[in-house]
Amino acid sequence: MTTATDSRPGAVRRQRPVSPWLFLAPGLLIVSAFSLYPFLSTLGNAFTDNRTLVPGGFVGLANFRELLHDDMFWTGLRNSVLYVAVTVPLLVLLPLLLAMLVRRHVPGITFFRSAFYTPVVASVVVVGLIWVWLLDDRGLVNGILEALGASPVSFLSDPWLLLLSAMLLTVWKGLGYYMIIYLAALTNVPRELHEAAAVDGAGAFRRFVTVTVPALRNTMVLVGALSSVSAFKVFSEVYLLAGENGGPAGEDTTLVLLVQQVGTGLNGRVGYASAISVVVFALTLGLMLLVLRANRKEDS
Amino acid sequence: MRVSRPAFTTLACALFLSACSTGTQDVDTGSAEGRVHGSITFQTWNLRAAFPDYFEDLIAEFEKKHEGTHVKWVDQPAEAYPDKISADAAGGTLPDVVNVSPDLVAPLAKARLALDLDQAAPQYRERYLPAAWKSQQIPGMKGTYAFPWYLNTGPMFYNKRLFREAGLDPAKPPRTYDELFDAALTMAKRSDGRIATLAATPTIEDFGRYGARLMNRKGTAFTFNEPKGVELLERYKELYDAGALDSQVLTATPEQAGRKFMQQSVAMNPGSALDLAKFKKDAPSLYKNIGVADAPNNTGRPNMYVQGLMVNAAGENKATAVAFARFVTNAANQMDFAHETTVFPSTKGTLDDPYFTEDKDGDDETRIRVSSAKSLDKAVNYTPVLLSDDMKTVLQNAVARVMRGDTSPKAALDSAVEECNRLLKLN
Repeated sequence: MTTATDSRPGAVRRQRPVSPWLFLAPGLLIVSAFSLYPFLSTLGNAFTDNRTLVPGGFVGLANFRELLHDDMFWTGLRNSVLYVAVTVPLLVLLPLLLAMLVRRHVPGITFFRSAFYTPVVASVVVVGLIWVWLLDDRGLVNGILEALGASPVSFLSDPWLLLLSAMLLTVWKGLGYYMIIYLAALTNVPRELHEAAAVDGAGAFRRFVTVTVPALRNTMVLVGALSSVSAFKVFSEVYLLAGENGGPAGEDTTLVLLVQQVGTGLNGRVGYASAISVVVFALTLGLMLLVLRANRKEDS
Repeated sequence: MRVSRPAFTTLACALFLSACSTGTQDVDTGSAEGRVHGSITFQTWNLRAAFPDYFEDLIAEFEKKHEGTHVKWVDQPAEAYPDKISADAAGGTLPDVVNVSPDLVAPLAKARLALDLDQAAPQYRERYLPAAWKSQQIPGMKGTYAFPWYLNTGPMFYNKRLFREAGLDPAKPPRTYDELFDAALTMAKRSDGRIATLAATPTIEDFGRYGARLMNRKGTAFTFNEPKGVELLERYKELYDAGALDSQVLTATPEQAGRKFMQQSVAMNPGSALDLAKFKKDAPSLYKNIGVADAPNNTGRPNMYVQGLMVNAAGENKATAVAFARFVTNAANQMDFAHETTVFPSTKGTLDDPYFTEDKDGDDETRIRVSSAKSLDKAVNYTPVLLSDDMKTVLQNAVARVMRGDTSPKAALDSAVEECNRLLKLN
């Protein structure tokens, strides 16, 4: 028998297959250039005082120590955590209800499915600007409120209402996407289970709680994980509604918005912004692991 | 999981290399020798839409005068212009000639990306107004880092119809801050809070025009927390509480404030001469009622915005870039540009032209041009060259906290000055 390491004269040398690497190369190159390199770069920069235009030096953990005393960092962390706490439950539950509504085969249902999905494909910038016009002090929503005799609401100048508006925008824009995931998963729920429960006298709500939800638990965990990560990394919605400063006195800043504020511009503190990014990464990773662990516990 | 030694070494090297920034420390910022020949890129700041013919003719004339040269003109929108320059500078794609304001030159000069004209082109210094030339110098650094280009006193636009409806005299716009505050309170009262006078909180230039000292003489510390600065904030807080400032003033960008003015829900807004053409096209009913005045000030010295043309010290064709920047900013071409719109040349003697001294037709534009030109000799560039974008954010947040009643003006400004001084040291 001959092997690849056989050096006897006349032995057949087995070639290492090249073709799989050739197939993988384009993908690997793209991932390396646009994910791996920036990730490593951010990790390295977090321990330096590099600036946008002026290279700095190694500063150890100084950036992380500064974070602890930075009020804006704590404001950003508070808002990011709140964002997850509010939007994730809504994005796990509402699309499921929507999916159950549009899975019925009734005339015109395709229109509603498309309508619910439209915000997903719409540009977030366009959608954000429309929401700004709607929620402006003299916008459509306040116009209607005033016509009904109510006082106008400061959606875009009160820090809490601003944050809530951004959360609603995130939920509204994400509904269609998660609805499609649930629609696919719902087709896998055995009809017999529903029929058996109905025969046992279970009503629609009982069947939803005891049949649909357990059957979709894995999908709900997936939706929870995906929406948590995107909620923690939220940027566009807050930027568009609250402005580049993150609302009045920066009260609506999120961690990713803070990275943009600190790390860009001619005097951008790339090192410090990278340290914030590393914290965002660690927290996101922690959140994902938590969700997965909770799911595994349920499985066992 | 076991990680092999080569994989670990590769990862560690990648990590180390990725954190290394490539600097520009070996760039020669003091000379631009060579033949005027070849291609350069010229970047303007939001000028293409209004003046395409002027710049195309200018470039054609330069290329004709210097055979073998080619100028590629790019224009960037007003919003996020510093971010665009920053990205280009960091990526090594900064154009050869860049339209900048002095506060944008400072970080580029510190990064050795701006050509020092005192060394590379000292022969041109005498052709410009001394104050304009000096405005392109950076405290704490030797040298001058951009050719002075056009000057602008930054007019204040106001809506005559809204003034009339509030019982204010549209022929007498506020000239001092006291007059501005009185007019704003009257406007809020008589319109039942429906019409605000301003849609922006005070900027660093407002503190300067109000009479607060912004920085110490050496340029090593900010001082806008002195009593005059505190007083200005107290007065603005009074306006905010009375509804004389737009309800969304705490989150408004200059562009949003401009839109509110165009929608005629705000009575006054600072701008530039370039805005008149925009009002004429996009808001004709506002244009019919537009009034133009100097921005209010208590010092008797109006603000002077200075535009400059910086030559990229790391560019490959510096001789051509210097020749082109000088060509654009020479007396004749600046005079031509001043005929296109209400801006003022920074070259010596040009402001003595009758175009800037005689009010022949008596219309608003001519009146403003002549009066602004007259005030230019006393004008000051109130924007501290060393005030970076993050410092502006610090000040804006401090002002917002005062308006919301979270803190007192004194405490907010003390804290803002402390933070700006910390950032100044870091820069």
